[in-house]
Amino acid sequence: MPDRSTTLMRLMALTDSAFPVGTFSFSNGLETAADTGLVHDAPTLEAYARCVARQAALTDGVAALHAMRSYRRKDFEGILEADRQAILCKLNTEARLMSCRMGKKLAELFAHIADDALAARWLGEIEAGRTPGSYPAAQGIVFAANGADERELFCSHQYGAIGTVLNAALRCVRVSHYDTQRILFRLSDTAEALFAEAAQMDFCEMNAFAPQADILASLHEKGTKRLFMN
Amino acid sequence: MDFSAAKEMAPYLAEPKAMPVGTPGKTGYLRLGFELDGEGRSIMRDLDRRAPLIVQQELYFDEGMPEMPCVYILSSGGPNVDGDRYEQHFTVRKGAYAHLSTGAATKLAEMRYNYSGLRQRFELEAGAYLEYLPEPTIPCRHTRFIADTTIRIDPTATLFYAEIYMSGRKYFGSGERFAYDVLSVTTQAERPDGERLFREKFVVRPAAHTPALLGEMEDYDVFANAIVLTPPEEAERIYARTDTFIDRTSCTAAGITRLPNGCGLLYKALGAETGPVKRLVRKFCSTVREEVKQRPLPEEFPWR
Repeated sequence: MPDRSTTLMRLMALTDSAFPVGTFSFSNGLETAADTGLVHDAPTLEAYARCVARQAALTDGVAALHAMRSYRRKDFEGILEADRQAILCKLNTEARLMSCRMGKKLAELFAHIADDALAARWLGEIEAGRTPGSYPAAQGIVFAANGADERELFCSHQYGAIGTVLNAALRCVRVSHYDTQRILFRLSDTAEALFAEAAQMDFCEMNAFAPQADILASLHEKGTKRLFMN
Repeated sequence: MDFSAAKEMAPYLAEPKAMPVGTPGKTGYLRLGFELDGEGRSIMRDLDRRAPLIVQQELYFDEGMPEMPCVYILSSGGPNVDGDRYEQHFTVRKGAYAHLSTGAATKLAEMRYNYSGLRQRFELEAGAYLEYLPEPTIPCRHTRFIADTTIRIDPTATLFYAEIYMSGRKYFGSGERFAYDVLSVTTQAERPDGERLFREKFVVRPAAHTPALLGEMEDYDVFANAIVLTPPEEAERIYARTDTFIDRTSCTAAGITRLPNGCGLLYKALGAETGPVKRLVRKFCSTVREEVKQRPLPEEFPWR
């Protein structure tokens, strides 16, 4: 197990938006929200990012925590189950695509930078088409392998979901870096309560209610304008 | 009926003072089975019911598909009240087809002690076709409602399953928009061999987290969720024909996506009023029927 400083260094690297798993290609639906005018300034961007953070916490966040626990028990079947459950509840096509592309990329990257038998076996299952390879399952494995705890994994996951929206906003909404950093700072306040809820949840409790965001995702899926992949 | 796994209902387990949970008349049961008879006509072969749920017999009133048995599910108890538990089990056997609806909107009464629960099971065998298109569900102030639906469907069968939920009695008194306590809805599907297809769960607890937010319901008051489980070729034709839009003039919006594991489609619609959303869902159902049965839905009855 890495020492504490090593874990923290790796945690920051894995959470950095520059970590090359392709987050810059996705907007978590913001592109259509901006195109339709629903998100047009800092307050509406904050409301949208808050919605994305909540939905991510109670679905992918739960799956990531279960994958981490399974890794620690060396329960490979448990990791596969977390992966399947993440996809069963991922009802929008482009969101599933995003999750699987980023999940596979993270698994590939980790195979290049670390020597971990369980993670290597995981990548093999993805490449053989025997498991979808979702991003939260990959995060659970990689963070556990680096000695991170559940709260650190969850907060990194939240940071990633919010960061994807805010980074995309700089390219498609009239907001400044000051606006996006202020929003990120404010949304950090919700992470502890969401973690407390997600950490207690079983797979069957994973839930999401964002019909307007779902419709935006559908408009993007059937539309032709495409700065981002979702 | 056991809903103890649903933590969101845990605060609402007091015994109703009027009549305890499980009292006759508070535990509805309905089992309907459809199959082809010796002449190849789809009929309702099985009917088992317990009050307050009522089904009398199948009727063949659908002018677009006169050979289709149509059944209205009624409730003699009026609204679902505190401590009610309903269970419904629908089977459509090989090659049979049917249309199910409710006689009126499902009203969910104000609740003080317990909650109202609905458990449903759908089983569709090879080539079966079922439309489940009930009237909207209307929660009141302090309603607590849980619905748990399980679908087992053959890869060659088609299920159209729609639900419409209102934010509340928006014109009652000063309005009851999102004044209910909890709405918990789970729908999941699997193949006959146990292969899991998808699971959708939403839990709305307005006092803890209002859904009147951007990305959720924002200013809309009516939410429709329609699931279509159908073979991939039919799904692609339905998907291609279905419009996605946000129309600020009519205050409606709709979207469609493909469900995981190639099992079908998920359609969502939002609106300010029930009528336009019902029309959107009915139009979508008509598209499904046209692509699977090559016949459109007839015009809705003027009194519906």
